[in-house]
Amino acid sequence: MEFNLITKEGFSVVELSGDVDLSCSAAARETILRSLASGQPTLVDLSAVTYIDSSGVASLVEGYQVARRKHLEFGLLKVSEAVRSVLELAHLDRVFKIHDSLEDRLAQG
Amino acid sequence: MTGTARVTHTGARGQSVESPALALLEDVNRDLASSFDLDETLQRTMDRVMQHLHVEAASIFLQDEQDHTLVCQRSTGPVDVTGTRVGPGEGIVGLVVATGQAIMVEDAQHHPGFAPQVDTRSGLITRSLLCVPLQTRGTCLGALELINRLGDDGPFTPADLDLASAVAAAAALAIQNMRMVRELLEQERVRKEIELARDIQLSLLPAPNPGLAVTGFNLPARRVSGDFYDFQRRPDGRVHVSVADVAGKGMDAALLMTRTISLLRCLSKAVPDPSSLLEQINAELYETVSRGLFVTLLAGILDPDTGELVYANAGHHPPLLRLGPGRYECLSVQAPPLGVLPVLGVPNQRLSLARGPCYFYTDGVTEARDGSGAPLGVGGLLDLLEQVEPLPLSERLPTLVEALRVQQRRFHDDLTLLGLAPEVFDEPLLALEFQAEPRRLKTLRRELSLALHAQKLSAKGRESFIVAVNEACMNIMQHAYGHSRPGMINLDLRRIGDRLDLLIVDHAPPVDHQRIGPRDLADLRPGGLGTHFIQSAVDEWQYGHLAEARGNTLRMRKKLEED
Repeated sequence: MEFNLITKEGFSVVELSGDVDLSCSAAARETILRSLASGQPTLVDLSAVTYIDSSGVASLVEGYQVARRKHLEFGLLKVSEAVRSVLELAHLDRVFKIHDSLEDRLAQG
Repeated sequence: MTGTARVTHTGARGQSVESPALALLEDVNRDLASSFDLDETLQRTMDRVMQHLHVEAASIFLQDEQDHTLVCQRSTGPVDVTGTRVGPGEGIVGLVVATGQAIMVEDAQHHPGFAPQVDTRSGLITRSLLCVPLQTRGTCLGALELINRLGDDGPFTPADLDLASAVAAAAALAIQNMRMVRELLEQERVRKEIELARDIQLSLLPAPNPGLAVTGFNLPARRVSGDFYDFQRRPDGRVHVSVADVAGKGMDAALLMTRTISLLRCLSKAVPDPSSLLEQINAELYETVSRGLFVTLLAGILDPDTGELVYANAGHHPPLLRLGPGRYECLSVQAPPLGVLPVLGVPNQRLSLARGPCYFYTDGVTEARDGSGAPLGVGGLLDLLEQVEPLPLSERLPTLVEALRVQQRRFHDDLTLLGLAPEVFDEPLLALEFQAEPRRLKTLRRELSLALHAQKLSAKGRESFIVAVNEACMNIMQHAYGHSRPGMINLDLRRIGDRLDLLIVDHAPPVDHQRIGPRDLADLRPGGLGTHFIQSAVDEWQYGHLAEARGNTLRMRKKLEED
């Protein structure tokens, strides 16, 4: 499983999709860390994620921590319902900056 | 050593053996051999000897079996000295008993061993004296003492010594025989009492009741048992079950066991909750039990309709729960035995017998040794349980014990087994067996989602349940199998009563579940969320181990919504 990493409007966007579980969370983590290593502010697009487990959530948490150390922006885009309920369960819905869309983020300036 | 044989050939002063001496010996022997009243016979023997030898006084001293002093058992003469005690080795009597040698003196007052205090007490002046030991089979039981030969016959003669010795030998044998008879009677009395105790114990065990789905078996190592099992139906249809083992296996253990049964039977009527029941019995026993005795007790209450068993375990072997072919769960001990601490702190544990039967046992079973001294062990017990599994419940335990006999195992300890097998084996909602590989998780979630579809759960409840099961299986893949070759995972989902009951079994080395707990969510770090997800999704969850370190178990229960 490979995930897309694209650049849009000065942001590096990681596009996760499908079931982000133990079978592919290592690839998700690797893509997120690669994005941050390039020094770009990073947004993780979760609109196409149908399921996320704790290993998938862990890769998001790790991205958040690495970005903070590097003083880089890190946020989530278009969080699907499946992902939102898991983030709530882990009390992480208020930790991450969550945007409805890239435009929404850009509008904030 | 005194001789005894010559008396039949030569009498005193060269008289023929057709003398009264032989007649006397015949009379004495006949009397001693036929009488059951030893004291009276000894008295008659003494009287006869006195008459024959013309002596002033005679007495028989016997050694006290406890303190070894010599007590005058019988006396004849001007003064009764019956009951007089002489210390070991004291006086001429003491000397004779200590050495086993007869003493014959003309003037006792000048004998170095003479103790004048008896004379002082009795008022009799001892002059001539003949004292012979009462000996049999090398043991000296006491002595026969003859004092003051009367008239013109002069002092005691060697022939007198021979005659007295022969009489003493016959008396000693009679005394010894009488003691043995008394001992045998005492043994017989004790045996009868133990038999009675055994009957009482057996009557305390419950009668077989095929309607209860519970069966028991007890085999004492000795006549009485320190083990116990019980099952009693309550008015509400539920069944109290228990197995106990008292430390030790003699009469003291049997008595403590009887006391424990009484407490259990009495208190369980008012206290159905196993944890409270064990606490109360413990409080009673703690007050009274001493000398290092203690009781291990496993008590529970079974609902035969749902197959649910709530139990509490005070130091007993964990129950063995059959989960599938060759797979038995061993549910760990939660509290110390009864009678050791003032408060047990024993929790209630819950088991579902919907997947298979449950067995309680005492260590007499696992410690049954074969010819080479190797104990059966839990592994051996599991093999035998598997062998008897196809039989009807009532035949399983006797067949298992018969198999132990066929293996020529020796039973060193009381042996007790209890089997619980309510017939509530509904088909599972979902039964899966799959390789512990991450790529299998997606199928698992899909199958689970389908199985839960018809169950009364909210969308959120269903979703979080699937998350929890997924996380549990991930934990097995990441931690239980870890870096070793992934084995199988067995998953069994059932509806039991108003709950979903899920059992997940792996076959990895035992995991230390004490170290697994939900993390503090404020501690923001990757990983460690799985247990938190499980805890949030279900009402109850519980880790366990398969018996013999053959794997790990996880149970999750979630209450369904009401209609």
